[in-house]
Amino acid sequence: MIATLMKLRSVLMLALVALISAGADPIVGNPSPTPEDPVLRAMKIELERSKSQLRLEQMAAPYYIEYRVADMEARVADAAYGALRSNLHLRLRFLRVVVRVGDYKQDSYFGQGEGTLDVAPLDDDELALRHQLWLATDRAYKSATESLAAKQAQLKQLTVDQPVDDFAHADPVQHLEPLAKLDADATPWLKAIQEATALYKTDPQVQSMTSSIEFQAANRYFVNTEGSIVRTGETNYRARLEAGTQASDGMQLDQSAAYSGRDLKDLPTVEKFFARAGEMIGTLKDLRAAPLADEEYRGPVLFSSRAASTVFADLVGENIRGLRPNLGQPVRTRGAFASSYKSRVLPDFISVVDDPTLASYDREPLLGHYEVDDEGVRGLRVLVVEKGNLVSYLLGRQPLRDFPNSNGHGRARLPVGSPEPSMGNLMVAASESVPRAELKKKLIELCQQREQPYGYYVEALSGLRYPRLLYKVWAKDGHEELIRGAVFADLDVRSLRNDLIAAGDDMHAWNWTQNIPHSVVNPSVLFDELELKRTDQNKSTLPEYPPPPLTPAE
Amino acid sequence: MKTLFQAATLGFLMAVCLTPDAGSSGPKGTKKPDDVLLSTMERELQRARDQLGKLDPPAYFISYSVHDQSMAVAIGSQGSLVNSTHMRTRTADVILRVGSPALDNSHQQNRSSAISSAPLPLDDDADAVARVLWQLTYGEYRKASKAFLNVKTSTQVNAKEEDTSPDFSTESPQVHSDYSELPPFPDQPLLEQMARKYSEPFRKYPYVYHSTVSVVVEDTRRHFVSSEGSREVVPSTLVRLMIEGETQADDGMELMRVETFQAETVVHLPGEAEISTRVDKIAADLNALRVAPLAEPYDGPALLSGRAAAVFFHEVLGHRLEGHRQRGEEEGQTFTKKVNTQVLPEFLSVVDDPTRRTLNNIELGGWYTYDDEGMPATAVNVITNGILKNFLMSRLPIKGFSVSNGHGRAQAGSMSSGRQGNLIVTSTRTVKDGELRQGLIDQVKKQGKPYGLYFEDIQGGFTLTQRAAPQVFQVLPVLVWRVYPDGRPDELVRGVDIVGTPLAALNRILLTGDTTAIFNGICGAESGSVPVSAAAPAMLFSEIEVQKRQHSLSRPPILPPPGFDRSEATSPAKTGGAR
Repeated sequence: MIATLMKLRSVLMLALVALISAGADPIVGNPSPTPEDPVLRAMKIELERSKSQLRLEQMAAPYYIEYRVADMEARVADAAYGALRSNLHLRLRFLRVVVRVGDYKQDSYFGQGEGTLDVAPLDDDELALRHQLWLATDRAYKSATESLAAKQAQLKQLTVDQPVDDFAHADPVQHLEPLAKLDADATPWLKAIQEATALYKTDPQVQSMTSSIEFQAANRYFVNTEGSIVRTGETNYRARLEAGTQASDGMQLDQSAAYSGRDLKDLPTVEKFFARAGEMIGTLKDLRAAPLADEEYRGPVLFSSRAASTVFADLVGENIRGLRPNLGQPVRTRGAFASSYKSRVLPDFISVVDDPTLASYDREPLLGHYEVDDEGVRGLRVLVVEKGNLVSYLLGRQPLRDFPNSNGHGRARLPVGSPEPSMGNLMVAASESVPRAELKKKLIELCQQREQPYGYYVEALSGLRYPRLLYKVWAKDGHEELIRGAVFADLDVRSLRNDLIAAGDDMHAWNWTQNIPHSVVNPSVLFDELELKRTDQNKSTLPEYPPPPLTPAE
Repeated sequence: MKTLFQAATLGFLMAVCLTPDAGSSGPKGTKKPDDVLLSTMERELQRARDQLGKLDPPAYFISYSVHDQSMAVAIGSQGSLVNSTHMRTRTADVILRVGSPALDNSHQQNRSSAISSAPLPLDDDADAVARVLWQLTYGEYRKASKAFLNVKTSTQVNAKEEDTSPDFSTESPQVHSDYSELPPFPDQPLLEQMARKYSEPFRKYPYVYHSTVSVVVEDTRRHFVSSEGSREVVPSTLVRLMIEGETQADDGMELMRVETFQAETVVHLPGEAEISTRVDKIAADLNALRVAPLAEPYDGPALLSGRAAAVFFHEVLGHRLEGHRQRGEEEGQTFTKKVNTQVLPEFLSVVDDPTRRTLNNIELGGWYTYDDEGMPATAVNVITNGILKNFLMSRLPIKGFSVSNGHGRAQAGSMSSGRQGNLIVTSTRTVKDGELRQGLIDQVKKQGKPYGLYFEDIQGGFTLTQRAAPQVFQVLPVLVWRVYPDGRPDELVRGVDIVGTPLAALNRILLTGDTTAIFNGICGAESGSVPVSAAAPAMLFSEIEVQKRQHSLSRPPILPPPGFDRSEATSPAKTGGAR
């Protein structure tokens, strides 16, 4: 009993002492009370101790320290051919410590000085958590001290015309979300991915069929010496389906479908998921029978909203990230829009906004929604492209020339990646739009004007090169014919700027879960001229012997 | 490029490995009628053999090996859980050989062309299992036949190899089915509890910066079928507890102490009281090492404890007796042509005996009944009275040794090669352990040296066996004492590694102690990580060479650990008291 009593007493006292020490600190502009959350409390106490005491003799003390802890719980399973191959329940905690030496103008965030990572204890045990933070902070501080020296040495050899600060000032944020829990029952979905992949039995030509789910709860904790205390909690539910076949000439044909949401209810019902698997087998069958694309095509191409979302994410979303160029380089950012500030990057009827504050669009949940980014800055709505002109970038706390402040887009991969400016909810809007059917009509008109027998319609795209579902739209009667084996030759920022001529009125939200979750909301679009070639991929031979016969159904 | 060295370290045991177990009694030889997995494997193998045997080049050998494994890990640090994972996996390895045993696709550097692996459905769904095996098999056939073309061309283009042995030995098929129950798999909370409780005492020691306690339990049932007619079901279990503590000297040198325990079941692991004693010992050793003086490069008499001698033999001798190292044109082949000649002092003999389950009541890590090529394990007398007699053979023949002796071992997903199991060194020139120290002092005096070295414990080592590099070994001691001839107390030193060349080092052994000590570890080499044991008595060497150890130059942590900070200690909130 004595031990229990002591423990309780020390916890109370700890909270008290931390309160006093936080209040006594002159640097914290807005002294934050020691949080009740045991993880945040351990972080805060160790942070304060490091701030007040951590220093090597003869060397500068840190001017900024931040701690991030990510707690992840996941249920991951995958199935192939009707049977589970893996079924895992995981719980992990990681920490990331950044210590900055120098000042906001020039600091140690460079190379090894960009932070240290470690695993963190899973129990809410204050001393064990602090122990890991203590070691990581020590390593981070030593690396920062060395990195600052290395950076200064390197800068001495370079002429920098317009020096930009290394770290943006930001107001402290205090934001506590409820802890996310993974309490959804996965059993129906474990059954669903098995039943869906068992459908390979319905078509002997299906060579592979796999499906997976990933249900995840992620709680992120953040504190820094500027006084920010942030806890965010979110759940993510994902389900995926993939199938592959080979055409008789050996061409590999694949289809996939991915669903995601913040809630299990955002996923389709298991019945719909099963139906989708059946459709996929039908699509593969159609693809096997589909004619090959012509060797070369140059002409109008219509993109569905879904296919266009890939184009906007890759060609706009990636290039508006305010990634700092390498040391001494005079350009503004690292992307294709590095020197496009105030220049035209899209047709003048298109504007682009990134708005992480939106939680849904047209009842569709947006996975790019967040309140506070991974650098402890509130996510802001940013007008990026105004009437075709680039007017801003997505920014974290690394300033760019003419952009001294973060707009709350410093986002990190789970569990504890380095924050980088990234998309939240990318909204692509057209000031002039036409109904979807009109867009198809326009495509046909263009073909007729140029005396081309057909135009192309891309329904689904994989990367910027490979249409997954591509149709010829015949100019004579408008009928659509499925085609296989075509690749884009020149879909790039130049064609997006010059060849995009019309947009539909069918705005739709598309969620992307790879890397950092984000959403793209956009209409279908028509390009005046793009080039498609017949695929250069080699075709493998068909299997040496037939698949195993199925067990007769009882 | 192939791996240049083979490390036997205590290191991390997160590597997937196989270890045998108590639960399996002798061969049952009966086929369980409802083993869907085995019958599906056999059916698919038959189809593959019929179909791929007809092609050009024909597949002349196919085997399917499925590891069905349950694994539980719990890792604790500072009294808190850091990781807790429980998973079940089923992995299929398809091995396929095209050409003929005399020359096939696995020749020389193309060994990995003979294997393809993939995860298999966890349930006995015959259709799904068959489908995955089929895909793996035709994919593997393509890989193998492509490699075979290269092999044929390079044997035409290159000079004739020195050893023209076939690429695959002829063996009789093995049928063995052991369906005996494995001991019940422990509940995860029990392992978590152990990891928490056993790591908690480290809180007392502020200078032990990093510490972890890991508990690992693995149950594996391996199903094996081959086109030669072999059919095996072999169970195995592994239960391991590892305690690890680390500190840093003021000059930055990292100092580590590790203790591992192996047992039949979790219940048989040492109890809380013993663990707590071990933790205290680890902490005391680290505290002494932290302030111990740096050792200087030295060449002179030395005494190796039994555990130290065991690791020394694993590295210096064991790896060089692995069969496949005798024929590669890139291998150093230290012992290849020394069969029937004296390679050790005549009072020493060495056997590698994987059939041995325990020694001195200690569980041996390198125990197994069938190797990973499906061959029965056998005890191999590699050195008898100092004379080299045999090698550790997989199914890769070498000149003079055409068949396997059950030492073909691999981690799931890798091609087997000749590996050590339980390497046991015995001696006929022994004195009581207590008298060895006097033997060392006598040698020091005889050679006129200021002191001798006593190696109490070793954390691991590595050795280079390829021609491209010098034929050296390095053994990494953790507790080294200077023993003075004038009666001064022994002095702990730090920062040296034992180095040398094998032929010279092995012949400097003068006499041994009379008890055998055991080192259980994980050995890594080309065919992956496998659990091994090495056992030897303490040994007196007339000469051992040590060199300075390379180490980190970073300082120890600047601030005291949380709970030991004096500025916190002034307040009652100091949790140091609760530690």
